[in-house]
Amino acid sequence: MEATTVKASTPQRRRSRGLSERRLAGYMLTPSLVLIALVAAYPIVYAVWLSLHDYSVRVPGLKRWDIGGNYVEALTSADFWEAFRTTFVFTGVSVFLELLLGIAMALCMHSAFKGQGALRTIVLVPWAVLTVVTAMMWRTIFQPDLGFVTSMLSTFGLPGADIVWLGEDGWALAVMIFADVWKTAPFMALLLLAGLQVIPEDVYDAAKVDGATAWQRFVRITLPLLRPAILVALIFRTLDALRIFDLPFVLTRGAHGTNTLSLLAYQELQQNRIIGLGSALSVLTFLIVMTVSLVYIRFVGGNIRALTEE
Amino acid sequence: MSRRLILLVLCAVLACGAAMVGCGGDDDEGGGGGSASSGESGTTEGAKVIDVKSMDAAKGNVTYCTGKDTSGDLKEGLKKFNTEFGADGLKAKILEFPTSADEQRNQFVQRQRAKSGECDVFEADVIWTAEFATQKWLYDLTPYIESRKAEFIPSTLTSVTYDKKMWGAPRVTDSGLLFYRTDKVDKVPQTWQDVYQQAASEGGIVYQGAPYEGLTVDFLELAYAAGGKVLSADGSKAEFDNPNNLKALKFMVDGIKDGSAPKSVTTFMEEEARRSFENGKPAFMRNWPYAYALGNEAPKVKGKFEVAPYPSFEGAGKAGILGGHNAVISVYSKNPGGALKLVDYMTSDERITRNAVKYSKAPPLAAVYEDPAVKKALPFAAELKQGVEQAKTRPVSQVYSQISQAIYKNVNEALTGAQTPEQALKNGQAEMEKALQTF
Repeated sequence: MEATTVKASTPQRRRSRGLSERRLAGYMLTPSLVLIALVAAYPIVYAVWLSLHDYSVRVPGLKRWDIGGNYVEALTSADFWEAFRTTFVFTGVSVFLELLLGIAMALCMHSAFKGQGALRTIVLVPWAVLTVVTAMMWRTIFQPDLGFVTSMLSTFGLPGADIVWLGEDGWALAVMIFADVWKTAPFMALLLLAGLQVIPEDVYDAAKVDGATAWQRFVRITLPLLRPAILVALIFRTLDALRIFDLPFVLTRGAHGTNTLSLLAYQELQQNRIIGLGSALSVLTFLIVMTVSLVYIRFVGGNIRALTEE
Repeated sequence: MSRRLILLVLCAVLACGAAMVGCGGDDDEGGGGGSASSGESGTTEGAKVIDVKSMDAAKGNVTYCTGKDTSGDLKEGLKKFNTEFGADGLKAKILEFPTSADEQRNQFVQRQRAKSGECDVFEADVIWTAEFATQKWLYDLTPYIESRKAEFIPSTLTSVTYDKKMWGAPRVTDSGLLFYRTDKVDKVPQTWQDVYQQAASEGGIVYQGAPYEGLTVDFLELAYAAGGKVLSADGSKAEFDNPNNLKALKFMVDGIKDGSAPKSVTTFMEEEARRSFENGKPAFMRNWPYAYALGNEAPKVKGKFEVAPYPSFEGAGKAGILGGHNAVISVYSKNPGGALKLVDYMTSDERITRNAVKYSKAPPLAAVYEDPAVKKALPFAAELKQGVEQAKTRPVSQVYSQISQAIYKNVNEALTGAQTPEQALKNGQAEMEKALQTF
């Protein structure tokens, strides 16, 4: 806005100064651009480069060009599509549950009461625990025979005591989703709480005067005004969930329908040392995450703009 | 707001991408050599051979690289080495890598790729010999080992042998054992079939059935005993889908079906199996010797169990799978004479005996098992020795990690009932054939 004012008031001086300013800006941005290129772009370009080659696992130093071959191999393998499906099911279900829980938790924390500060801190504890540690913990809890879940179920004679939680298709993924929701719902709640706090109280007061019920106030005021915060939280969580690695790595090592894209790439790159194929898988995962985020921006970013302009 | 949001998202994606593909970068040219190799003759041709005489009057510094020395036996050994040879001008120091086996291997591989002489001696897992040898990273120690051949238990030497040459000196060996409850089992069963039969009525047998390296070992113990195999003798062809492997796999699958083994074993690694056994219900457990001392601290099973070497598979033979570590010498060492002297000392009778007595490490030297102090410290010394003697090495291949995956993934799916044993072997065979064609 300020720029246009300047433009309008001093049209003549702007031209000469504007150009040099732009150039100056360019110069000043160069170091950070170089830094970004080094830190972010270089590894990505390098991974693409690696994915276009085959590196021999037999003869040291032997490599050959293989344009697209690794991508064809990745995209035609059943493992890739299974991991693709698992990753999206995991992301969809866990982010959805986290959102519901997050909103509920944020509303609770938002209401004024004694010990509010302490509660906010306590709620964040699961999020502060390292994911690997979380995964270890849940693996122990869902252990058959001696695990907490199994012993509780069998003590109370409930069904499910004979389920091998981490050893059966379906259940293993469910445990993984459960562990992720437990860990990241508080993070979601915190982001949403920040959003709740910028909603002015007078809007609610006005609505009350007009006789709106609590539910109406929630649906008509809280949700719409919370939307920008919800979207930011969703984007963060979705991108994170799509790259999930540590949970399946510790819980099941990718067995029983829990193999995710990142884990698959790890297996080829690190365990089998098939660098070309592994890099192709990494690049594909990267493209998938990129696409999902572009979709968010395309369909959701516009909404945010409209909202903020209101 | 919206612009900033878009920027934010782009940055987040970029950062994610960088983090994700970053791991591709550190592997660099030369595409790490999967695992071992065999079959291609002459792959180790031209490897430098150690000069045994060079260790006499060796001087200078040497570094012993190893995974984290958690028990402290290496540090003690190196300290003694320095007091003995320090006066002659030969000094050794330790360089510890992380605990994880994969990470140790990475650390060593990176140094060798850079042709770094940092590690003169490296403590290599038994399954790495072939890979390191074909990459020409090791000194050929054949003349040295030949001079001491009679001292080692023969099976431990097969783990250092590749392409008819010997590439390291066994320092610690290992073999799985059959743990059994003396209050539930009267007599050690003579066959695996008997073990499972008794297990069915006495609380079961637990082993490592989760899809990981441990299951490959557990399955091969039974498959080799049943006369099965994985690869052709020259390592070039997959021969996984054979009737003897099927016998072993069906046996394991039936064991879960009829309740000889709880179906939860399909998620068990060593620790889960140990905890389950220590909780008192199972009558049998397949585990490594480390579980012996710990079991005798567990109140429910303390003093109520013993160990035995593996029984035979009905109608076939006995087998086991060899574990442990070998000391190898880097071809980039600037002091091969000093390195050999260090290896010679660390695998000497004195050190190996001490490691057994003080640190419960299984000795690769046959005579050490007869030492009264060792017998006292390892009450199951005789059983352990027998276990090591009948143990075999895992398949030797440059693509070992893929071979092992083909085994444990498919065997695990057969155990959980996701596929039949026949399908599992067929799929494993197909995956191995594909793996063997890796560029």
